[in-house]
Amino acid sequence: MSQPVASAIPAPTAAPVYQEINYLNADRGVASWLKTLDHKRIGVMYFASVLMTFLLGGIFAMIVRFELTTPEPTFIGANTYNRMFTLHGMVMVFLFMIPAIPGVFGNFCLPLMLGAKDVAFPRLNLMSLYVYWIGSAIVLTGVITGGADSGWTFYAPYSTSTPMTLFPVLLGVFVLGFSSILTGLNFIVTVHTLRAPGITWMKMPLFVWAIYATSIIQVLATPVIGLTTLLVGIEKVGGFGFFDPGRGGDPVLMQHLFWFYSHPAVYIMVLPAMGVMSEIVAAFARKNIFGYKMIAYSSLGIAFVGFFAWGHHMFVSGQSSFDGGGFAVISMLVGVFTAIKVFNWVGTLYRGAILVTAPFIYLCGFLFFIVFGGMTGIALATISPDVHWHDTYFVVAHFHFIMVGAVIMAFLAAIHYWFPKMFGKTYNEGWAMVAAAFIVLGFNATFIPQFLAGNAGMPRRYYMYPERFTGLNVASTMGSTLLAFGFVMILIYLIFALLRGRIAGENPWHSKGYEWRTSSPPIKENFAETLEYPEEPHTYREPGEEPEHVII
Amino acid sequence: MADHKDKHEDEAHEHGPGRYVVIWMALLVFTITTVVTGHMDLGAANLPLAMVIATVKATLVVLFFMHLWDAEGINRLVFGVAIVFVMVLLLGVFGDLLTRMPEALPTGQPAHTLEGGDMPSSHGMPAHRPHGE
Amino acid sequence: MSSSDASAHGGGHGDAHGGNPHLAHHFDSMATQNHASRLGMWLFLGTEVLLFAGLFLGYSVYRHFYHEAFRAASHHLSLTLGTINTVVLITSSFTVAMAYYSVKKGNSKAAAGLLTFTILCAVAFLCIKGVEYNEKFQEGALPGKWFHFHEMQGYPGANMFYTVYFLTTGLHAFHVIVGMAVLIWVLRRTIRGDFDKNYYIPVELGGLYWHLVDLVWIFLFPLLYLI
Repeated sequence: MSQPVASAIPAPTAAPVYQEINYLNADRGVASWLKTLDHKRIGVMYFASVLMTFLLGGIFAMIVRFELTTPEPTFIGANTYNRMFTLHGMVMVFLFMIPAIPGVFGNFCLPLMLGAKDVAFPRLNLMSLYVYWIGSAIVLTGVITGGADSGWTFYAPYSTSTPMTLFPVLLGVFVLGFSSILTGLNFIVTVHTLRAPGITWMKMPLFVWAIYATSIIQVLATPVIGLTTLLVGIEKVGGFGFFDPGRGGDPVLMQHLFWFYSHPAVYIMVLPAMGVMSEIVAAFARKNIFGYKMIAYSSLGIAFVGFFAWGHHMFVSGQSSFDGGGFAVISMLVGVFTAIKVFNWVGTLYRGAILVTAPFIYLCGFLFFIVFGGMTGIALATISPDVHWHDTYFVVAHFHFIMVGAVIMAFLAAIHYWFPKMFGKTYNEGWAMVAAAFIVLGFNATFIPQFLAGNAGMPRRYYMYPERFTGLNVASTMGSTLLAFGFVMILIYLIFALLRGRIAGENPWHSKGYEWRTSSPPIKENFAETLEYPEEPHTYREPGEEPEHVII
Repeated sequence: MADHKDKHEDEAHEHGPGRYVVIWMALLVFTITTVVTGHMDLGAANLPLAMVIATVKATLVVLFFMHLWDAEGINRLVFGVAIVFVMVLLLGVFGDLLTRMPEALPTGQPAHTLEGGDMPSSHGMPAHRPHGE
Repeated sequence: MSSSDASAHGGGHGDAHGGNPHLAHHFDSMATQNHASRLGMWLFLGTEVLLFAGLFLGYSVYRHFYHEAFRAASHHLSLTLGTINTVVLITSSFTVAMAYYSVKKGNSKAAAGLLTFTILCAVAFLCIKGVEYNEKFQEGALPGKWFHFHEMQGYPGANMFYTVYFLTTGLHAFHVIVGMAVLIWVLRRTIRGDFDKNYYIPVELGGLYWHLVDLVWIFLFPLLYLI
């Protein structure tokens, strides 16, 4: 990498250095990895795992999209189709989205960002990984032995009466919940007890705030889905009739219990993504983050207020309109916190010294998608239009805008931003930008037609649809192919970078983040010496200073 | 140094075992009380009374057996927040149950069909014609 | 799972720095480490509270709908056995708190005795529960599709009472078993002499879990037996 232009950054005196003995090779052998207590190795193992589950979820998605290219049966049967969209949802939500950013980057970066040597409970951390593997294996067993056809939301009484086994998948989800709880618990205690001297609450990197807020949700909400899967599973196997109207049960109660977790769950998915974006926006605008406190507090706001909004998934379920009205208003309130963050991120970009790289492209995509995804969320929270949009592709497009458009963009941005730190190598920026273009364009091509189709009335989870929606479905499928192509491209150049990439050096982005103040890859103990923390993590200049441009 | 005061349970309370005995006795007394009052017919007050007594017992266990009385603030906050969210869950669901239209309740009347007829709450509006297809 | 919790919370086997063999390498002092252990345990207890919350919700909902059936059904439960179980659990909470106090004062022998008594209380609780369950099986007072309790046939929703009864007491009993396992593990370590005035956090954490089990029952008892 060439020298930076500004003199404020101490110019490296020699070529970038690769840390020879680092956490990756400090102990050798498969056993040393499987018994590791090193949060960085655990993060890497999560990384490998979630890439595989993402691939699996993506395969299910492509099958769904290809089936939907024609309004008639295309290449699979109706029952198989039901299983495909169900498994796409379940694998993506429980095996990928929930664990991904916290498991990979939370694990890797959190202690580094706090100047700590590890998380609070390293053995619990390893157990969290094992439980994730076991839960995923159980779900996969379920997939192979027939899977589930109830939709990822497995509403009773269909889920309790369908001939599909469903039980292994539910058991797997139950087990996965423990992994989520343990990770959240670990991170909360780490933030409370392992901050280095000098890192006060208001000097913590914003990614830490986001992970902390996420962990609160994980700890409080996950037990409820655990109970729900348990109850549905027991009812399926034992005929208890807890949710069965024929035995006096209330199916809407199941929905209440389900969404009490599953709505905060979407914040488990999106908050870490926002945390990543806070890191990236400051680093790639080379500017002080705008409104540090508001971003920190709004993360907590989302975490707490997000718990009060679950009923907006149930407007047409039979839930009372009184309750629905309350949930509608609160749902709009949660949008305010996201809006605050968007304003702050854009405020950071304003008059910044923009470094155009793949992470920055993903940031731009993220901002665009979270605004539109978020606004369509507010629209859906308005009960009367929701009566029209509920269970149509409008909803599907809305949540994919957030889940894929925002969260996956953030995941990709995180991968590219922290790749040099994790592996000590750089990836090829040219290919990365091409891939990013495919991803952003492919995403738009996939999901904008879905908004239109949904608004025109196309229902979700339907195997066959009226002919007039064919054009939009074909467009969406073509877009998804572009998107898939982009992901494959990323995988290829990252593997290439891993094996033959150029050496990154300690801080190739010249970022002020605390995690960059150690070698790349980091040594096993994280820091060679005790560091002081006089500066804040997102400050790049004094008030009144001009932005400095960096060439990397 | 993480933000906790060095004073906490490790050195703090120098109370004797008597405290535990007193709480235990109190719990037994409250148990007897709740059994006795549970037998009496107080109409609608039975349930709230039983819940109040149970809450008092639980509070004693949490504060003194579980040492929240002299614990770090964050531990108290964690437990308190958990309880608050239980309340949120109960309130949200009961808000629905108590205001739902009767046909949507497990004990509700079977809904009228739409074959040319109205839902009972239509206030006499003309029946919808079925969609011609 | 909880036994691993307690062991992970109870400090690592890292190199002694500052001399205390229980101090893990990434903590700066035992005070911090103990604080972390307690906070971790309270967070875990928070998750247990939320877990039972869903069942208490279910109870509340169905009691609201089937008020008469729930009243009648609860009169068919054995109040005597329920009260005995409540007293047993409260006493076990007392003895486990005393065990913690003893070990904090360095008296491991007394602690071991008290822990043993607590475990026996747990066994007694489960036995009494077993007797009650057996009665239900005889009467046909069972959940959902298994319900054939003719004395309660006249009440709509009666089966729902037994569904709720078995779900709540079943999940609670499961936690009693887990709690027992945790206490047995703590007892083993107490007998082995692992604890003293300066290190007793596993006893404290095991006790906290046991108190939670008691807490749940404190609410279950009046709701199921006394309405």
